[in-house]
Amino acid sequence: MDEKQDAGLTVAFLCTILLLLLLADLWQPDRKFSENENRLLASRPTLEKSALLSGKFMEDYETYLTDQFIGRDNWIELKTRSEILLQKREVGGVYLCDDDYLIEQHLPEDFPQELVDRRLELLSRLVEGYGARVMLVPTADNVLTDKLPDFAPYYDQDLLFAQVRERVGEEAYIDVASKLREHAGEEIYYRTDHHWTSLGAYYGYLAWKEHTGMLSPVSYDPGKLCAVTDDFLGTLYSKINLPSREDEIRIFPETLQRPVRVTYDYNVRKTSLYEESYLEGKNQYGYFLDDNHGFIEIETGYENGRELFVLKDSYANCLVPLLTAHYERIYMVDLRYYNGRLSQLLDPYMGESTDVLVLYDCIHFLEDFKYY
Amino acid sequence: MVFSSILFLFRFLPFFMLCYFLTYVIPERSARRMRNVILLLGSLVFYAWGEPVYVLLMLFSTVSDYMHGRAIDASQSQRVRAGLLISSVCINLFILGFFKYADFLILTVNSLAGTHFQTMNLPLPIGISFYTFQTMSYTIDVYRGKAKVQRNFLDFAVFVTLFPQLIAGPIVKYTDVEESLHDRGADVETISYGCCRFVTGLAKKVLLANNIGLLWEEISAMNFGGMSTLAAWMGIGAYALQIYFDFSGYSDMAIGLGAILGFRFPENFRYPYVSASITEFWRRWHISLGSWFREYVYIPLGGNRKGLPRQIFNILVVWMLTGIWHGAGWNFLLWGLWFGFFLILEKVFLGKLLGYLPRVFGWIYSMLVVLTGWVMFVVEEPNGIFSYLQAMFHRNGSEWYDERALYLLLQYGVILIVGALGATPLTGQIGRRLEQSGSGLAIALRRLLKKVIPAVLLLASVAYIVDASYNPFLYFRF
Repeated sequence: MDEKQDAGLTVAFLCTILLLLLLADLWQPDRKFSENENRLLASRPTLEKSALLSGKFMEDYETYLTDQFIGRDNWIELKTRSEILLQKREVGGVYLCDDDYLIEQHLPEDFPQELVDRRLELLSRLVEGYGARVMLVPTADNVLTDKLPDFAPYYDQDLLFAQVRERVGEEAYIDVASKLREHAGEEIYYRTDHHWTSLGAYYGYLAWKEHTGMLSPVSYDPGKLCAVTDDFLGTLYSKINLPSREDEIRIFPETLQRPVRVTYDYNVRKTSLYEESYLEGKNQYGYFLDDNHGFIEIETGYENGRELFVLKDSYANCLVPLLTAHYERIYMVDLRYYNGRLSQLLDPYMGESTDVLVLYDCIHFLEDFKYY
Repeated sequence: MVFSSILFLFRFLPFFMLCYFLTYVIPERSARRMRNVILLLGSLVFYAWGEPVYVLLMLFSTVSDYMHGRAIDASQSQRVRAGLLISSVCINLFILGFFKYADFLILTVNSLAGTHFQTMNLPLPIGISFYTFQTMSYTIDVYRGKAKVQRNFLDFAVFVTLFPQLIAGPIVKYTDVEESLHDRGADVETISYGCCRFVTGLAKKVLLANNIGLLWEEISAMNFGGMSTLAAWMGIGAYALQIYFDFSGYSDMAIGLGAILGFRFPENFRYPYVSASITEFWRRWHISLGSWFREYVYIPLGGNRKGLPRQIFNILVVWMLTGIWHGAGWNFLLWGLWFGFFLILEKVFLGKLLGYLPRVFGWIYSMLVVLTGWVMFVVEEPNGIFSYLQAMFHRNGSEWYDERALYLLLQYGVILIVGALGATPLTGQIGRRLEQSGSGLAIALRRLLKKVIPAVLLLASVAYIVDASYNPFLYFRF
């Protein structure tokens, strides 16, 4: 074979690759949704004169081609794997940590002091007006710090805790962070999800109990935690889409003892704190209190006349079951779904025996804790 | 349309090439014309995809210079010819000035005179600085008798709109491609070379430039005042590699596509970061721009033939223009003059001095000048430039290094090393050694690698394009 033939072979080889991909891409049908990326994929844009002249059609069309390109998930996996090969320990905002942990990255520059100040202002109004208690839960990067890649930057939430503590006072501030750090060696965060586990929530509960001094008719035993699923792959897994070690979701069997009545958004009534159906799907953490709702009312079956109002994010969903033994009724509000004045919502429920609790993980507190 | 996109690779390119090479089945005489028709239409689609309105501007420019060329050629009177040349150059410079520099001028006047003229906020037509320079080279060379007039409008329109080098260079002078416009062909070896060259360029852009660019992206978002020295150097080093691989990658893709179509475009980059002086750097960096200014500004101004003071003046003019060509902003002017200053120093004494010293001294000096220059180029506003330079030279009171910098070093260390090696002639030399070796094993290995490496680079590039969270087009200001 001479050089000419060999050159022809090179051209033919490269053209074949290009053409095979092209034909396969033309042949395969469009997808609406990407399970892996957990988002709607772009669909074919319609051709309009104005969109053509402004160039919007072209932009949309390119997004559409790229979103629907043949083997999209495989290409993304190839990219991720090659980045890891190049020694990257961070993929799409997720740190690949020791001991198979995936931990979400939060950079210090994303949380400027003025944002903290705004949140502190809202928080102190609640504490002064309603005697609210504050539980801010550190995220995994602040507790499992030694599992992070070497020198990995993270937003140091202790700076926030110190400010909150000073602003709301010892009376209102529940120190969850110290409690969690005492147990950093245990399974207190999921490996593939950004939430804390039921065990983590249990230590949060202990911190709450020590702070309030409330007595419970039930004592929970971490030794008795029982698994409801062992193939949980959470939100952080979805961001990197590489084979990961699956998590167990465990619950305290004591929380199943009493019959409860749960009302979601004033209309859907259930008789359990847990929703089995989520264990079949991808979002298994939704098992706790049916994922996200604007308003949840729980009648706990413990008749002591006490009520609790929780302003919360999804971290609360696995802790609130532990609080049921202390209150007759628990109301949970997710401020992201509530646009009215908070006082209008709160005031009708306020009585002598009503407690208010603000329960967030630090990051969602900074991002989502907003009300009028 | 940019090359590093699914649209270009899997729609435009195959479809265009199919049409183009189908012409080889029809008789050669009419096929030549057919090829140019396809090339022109393809180029117009390519450009209109990104600039559906400004494509008319490019066509206007094409028609204008075509007619000027014809008129200059037809006229016998020297005064008329000169007038026509001035008219052509003025129209080109007016288009360029109006779309690229008008707002800059308005803002400058406003800030100097305290006036409040409204800016026009027109988006800059992509590639305008490239194609206006190319058409100017045509009329100037027709006037000087260096190029024959082009009577065939189709051939001329192909020259102006030629999509491989339309939006990011290299700046092809008319005389570079004069002959190939009408009559060209590529043998299979050239086509194979073109394919490999294109894929290499694609990989440089998508795999190296984009990924190293992420490091600069992250560092440039930090607060320069509290930045450690290590972070500052890593950041600007990353930017230097990013713009080199991005720009030279685009040139490779253009040269490769040109080769497939039968054009020979001039080389644009020759490992600029191994330079041991600034003079050498600019002989290796964006060569086609440097040679354009040299041929159409520096030499007509008298070059070095009119004594040292005049030469210094000429250098300053050329480098002011070079700076401002890269974008309408004071920082680009400063950047150009920065290089002009060192080029003059080298002309006067520094060049001789460097000649006596080991090459490594020249290299360190050049890198310092070039990297400092990139700070002016990319940071843009004066306070930012100043505090970034303070960080680089450990004058901002921060640490030599901090955890953040060490983290980024660990994350990007491998790709920075790959990039730094790729910016030297090393890989090329290995390739050439393999090329020259006559042993059977070496030939077999070479033939295998010539297929496997481009295929792997192509597939890896596609993976990074599909998941393109970061795929910028850096030349929207040129």
